[in-house]
Amino acid sequence: MDRAFQRTRILTNHLLLPPPAQTACLTSNDCLNYSPPELSEKYAFDVNEMRRLMDGHDVEERDRLFGLIIQSKLFNPRVRGGKVFVSPDYNQSMEQQREMTWKRIEYLLERGVFRGWMTGEGEEMEMKRFACFEVLGIFDHSISIKLGVHFFLWGGAIQFFGTKHHHDKWLRDTENYMIKGCFSMTELGHGSNVRGIETVTTYDSNTGEFIINTPCESAQKYWIGGAAKHATHTIVFSQLNINGTNEGVHALIAQIRDADGNVCPNIRIADCGHKIGLNGVDNGRIWFDNVRVPRENLLNSVADVSPDGKYLSSIKDPDQRFAAFLSPLTAGRVNIAVNAVYQSKVGLSITVRYALTRRAFALKANEPEVLLLDYPSHQRRLLPLLAKIYAMSFGANYLKMLYVKRTPQSNKTIHVVSSSFKATFTWSNMQILQECREACGGQGLKTENRVGHLKAEHDVQSTFEGDNNILMQQVSKALFAEYMAAQKRNKVFKGLGLEHMNKPCPVIPSQLTSTTLRSSQFQMDALCLRERELLNRFVADVSQCQARGESKEHAFNTNYQLAEDLGKAFSDQAIFQTFVDAEATLAAGSLKDVLGMVRSLYALTCLEDVTYLRYGYLSVDNAAAVRREITKLCSELRPHALALVSSFGIPDAFLSPIAFNWIDANSWTSVQH
Amino acid sequence: MASSVSSQHDQVLVEEKSFARILTFNRPKQLNALSFQMISRLLELFLAYEDDPNVKLVILKGKGRSFCAGGDVAAVVHDIRAGGWKAGANFFMKEFTLNYLMATYSKPQVSILNGIVMGGGNGASMHGRFRVATENSLFAMPETALGLFPDVGASYFLSRLPGFFGEYLGLTGGRLDGVEMLACGLATHFVPSAKLPMLEAALCAVDSSDPATISSIIGKYSERPSLKEQSVYNRLDVIDRCFSQKTVEEILSALEREAVDRRDGWISTTIQTLKKASPTSLKISLRSIRVGRLQGVGPCLVREYRMVSHVMRGEFSKDFFEGCRAILLDKDKKPKWEPSKLELITDTTVDSYFSKVKDEDWEDLKLPARSKFNLPPYVIAKL
Repeated sequence: MDRAFQRTRILTNHLLLPPPAQTACLTSNDCLNYSPPELSEKYAFDVNEMRRLMDGHDVEERDRLFGLIIQSKLFNPRVRGGKVFVSPDYNQSMEQQREMTWKRIEYLLERGVFRGWMTGEGEEMEMKRFACFEVLGIFDHSISIKLGVHFFLWGGAIQFFGTKHHHDKWLRDTENYMIKGCFSMTELGHGSNVRGIETVTTYDSNTGEFIINTPCESAQKYWIGGAAKHATHTIVFSQLNINGTNEGVHALIAQIRDADGNVCPNIRIADCGHKIGLNGVDNGRIWFDNVRVPRENLLNSVADVSPDGKYLSSIKDPDQRFAAFLSPLTAGRVNIAVNAVYQSKVGLSITVRYALTRRAFALKANEPEVLLLDYPSHQRRLLPLLAKIYAMSFGANYLKMLYVKRTPQSNKTIHVVSSSFKATFTWSNMQILQECREACGGQGLKTENRVGHLKAEHDVQSTFEGDNNILMQQVSKALFAEYMAAQKRNKVFKGLGLEHMNKPCPVIPSQLTSTTLRSSQFQMDALCLRERELLNRFVADVSQCQARGESKEHAFNTNYQLAEDLGKAFSDQAIFQTFVDAEATLAAGSLKDVLGMVRSLYALTCLEDVTYLRYGYLSVDNAAAVRREITKLCSELRPHALALVSSFGIPDAFLSPIAFNWIDANSWTSVQH
Repeated sequence: MASSVSSQHDQVLVEEKSFARILTFNRPKQLNALSFQMISRLLELFLAYEDDPNVKLVILKGKGRSFCAGGDVAAVVHDIRAGGWKAGANFFMKEFTLNYLMATYSKPQVSILNGIVMGGGNGASMHGRFRVATENSLFAMPETALGLFPDVGASYFLSRLPGFFGEYLGLTGGRLDGVEMLACGLATHFVPSAKLPMLEAALCAVDSSDPATISSIIGKYSERPSLKEQSVYNRLDVIDRCFSQKTVEEILSALEREAVDRRDGWISTTIQTLKKASPTSLKISLRSIRVGRLQGVGPCLVREYRMVSHVMRGEFSKDFFEGCRAILLDKDKKPKWEPSKLELITDTTVDSYFSKVKDEDWEDLKLPARSKFNLPPYVIAKL
């Protein structure tokens, strides 16, 4: 009753009393002011130099592409808080988003961005292409995937599986987008298990044509990027059946639309529909009904069919033949891994900048509220993630170099490292983006602030081009095979970073001082120790199962927990190695000093992993020492936080309003504009 | 009520009118070219006004037919001959510091651009909150013809013009009239010169630094005249196609391709202008604008100071001295550029203009601290 009375009084006053004169409490002095971190935070090292180290290559190319995007209306520039931000309008319908993605590609095509991507050759061109993908991925996942399908999957398949006449016929047209390619591998019934796909191709020697068929609903091609709307051609993966013999999975080219965009006869196409992200990509489903393609359309670098219908292959072993077919997917995996790192950079840049300008709670009455990043707990949430992304940047650069310098001998290493890094980077990206979203509070929910939305856009990374869990199992299996090979031939370990297995087992000191914890030797020892021990254990357990008469495959399946731990141990160690290598290239100075702290924070965060206690590699006391050192490193890195995210080199326009003057961006005047 | 606090021989005249301060460039014979003395004086005044609660607004204008035709580079060349390259660098250090102060000024600056506004004149106006163009305005950043590059923070303000208009203006030195300046955003308002005395009087009656208030006052005298049909701003699509290309060479070939498609005097003039400019200048200017597009105004000026120090030092090219000789001193208008061709200038050479100068006494530009001032949002957005 009191409450009702009080409300009535308030309303009466409101209606009857004259409005109060402008009072002092309405002056700006009592309001929050946005205080730009650029003016208060100092840079202790040259952020341009750090950026060059992190991006690793093609900085000018990247900047030019960033500029091309910012300056065009097609990329949806919006002014918030006096600054321009570019980001697709995700509030558009799926159809509109797909149309915009395509228009943006046309714009970049006209500006010559793709020049040389298919017709050029060499490491430099491939690195430049990676750089462009990274930049475009920072703008939007859809555009990078749409381009990736056309250039890396369709174009890559022609380059790698095709021979000269395919190259001559298709590569230039691909580069100019005279044709639009897609890549039909996945089916409704088979994803990661490509060897199980059900699409069938037979050969008609009377006409010299292949005949492609979708024999059942589970064989429909699924998730085919570009198929729903734009693609004119596709690579089709199918079981090649020659004279009643199934020769296994092969790839050939089929046209699915004419130049006017009409679906070709004997082809049925349906849309995959709206997705939780990536709606600018037109994923579709394809059915083939006796589709006839000329014999020359078989991509014949690995195997061919003669005009009279004889199957010919230089690789007799179907396993190896199949492996050869999957190798071009590596480029896609490299792209995904690297792209995941850049998404985390976007998320962390925004979140750290927000944490440097947003205050919450005062410690005492009448004191100013505390900046989020001045809370040790907030530092502990964000700075280890920042360190992780530094480490993964070096890992990403290493992976790209490994890929562009590939040789037949390095195929295995590329497969293992790309699998491990793709899984590790994409998983950590999701974890980082979630932490960023929460650290931005409610602002993280707004699509325009990017961090929250990026989660939905990049969730797919953990399963496409190889399910992360399966990729990590492959890493453990590869390490197992390496171990067995070395043991069988009684040889030392060489390759996959396992050389440390040849040395005596490192010993962790019983007392860990701060100096020890920060030494890269100790950090390396601790990471190698875990990898070594887990590999020994995994081999022992699998062998034990096999000794009991179980198959190797079954033994792998039952030891999945160890396999997971081992895969993670391998990744952490491999990433750390790339960090140490990058650090070693630097001259002494402030940049190297800060980077050393970042490296320690990364390594110690790895050592905090539960495996160290689970298997007893660290004592409980040592684990506590690691944890203490992490908090110390966080507070020491706090003053460098702005410089560390600025070194990511993401232009302001690609971040979001909360990364800058979020008060002005949300002001009433901004509503009126 | 007006009180004059300067003598008429001063290079900068100062008038105090209520809460407004009117600063007038007073070297009409030299088209108000910025001397070291003028820059120092402006810096001193701006610093003092910022602390003075009785100043709410600063108005800048020029005496005669020019607002300001640029930095007094002839004097800079003279100083370098007498005192070495660092004397030249010193001029720019002071000038860029002033540019930064203006760009991050806590009080609105209104520049009345009733005449020529070029080079350093743009540095002294474009960074301020309000730029008023008139039918007499004539804008240009003509540095590439002089062996220099668009400096004074131009890599910040040119790169933020629509599309690739900034590249066009910065590389060709293309001229704009007041209407074009308004259309592309270099000017915030267009006021016919006949109304300037009324505008000035109205501004002198302002007792607030609120940009919305000042904007609405200027708005009362403003007009929105339409562009001439032949205006370069109507060619934005060609400019975007050509000036978005990656390199200067590619920009030129894009223009040449356009010239094949249609006969157009403007395209051939543009090609000619580019071919006459210093090749080194063109390359470093393009890079500067492209990098500047992604940087705040402070980092832009720090980088431009590195670049200008390299130019003054003449380690990679002496085109600046040759340009000044041919255009300003001997006036034969036939500079002999060295290197003479675009293809002779490698990316590595371009890179070196962006590196620190390897000289013991040389330091990066130190920007004045701005954190103690309550900066308005339009300034914060530029950091």
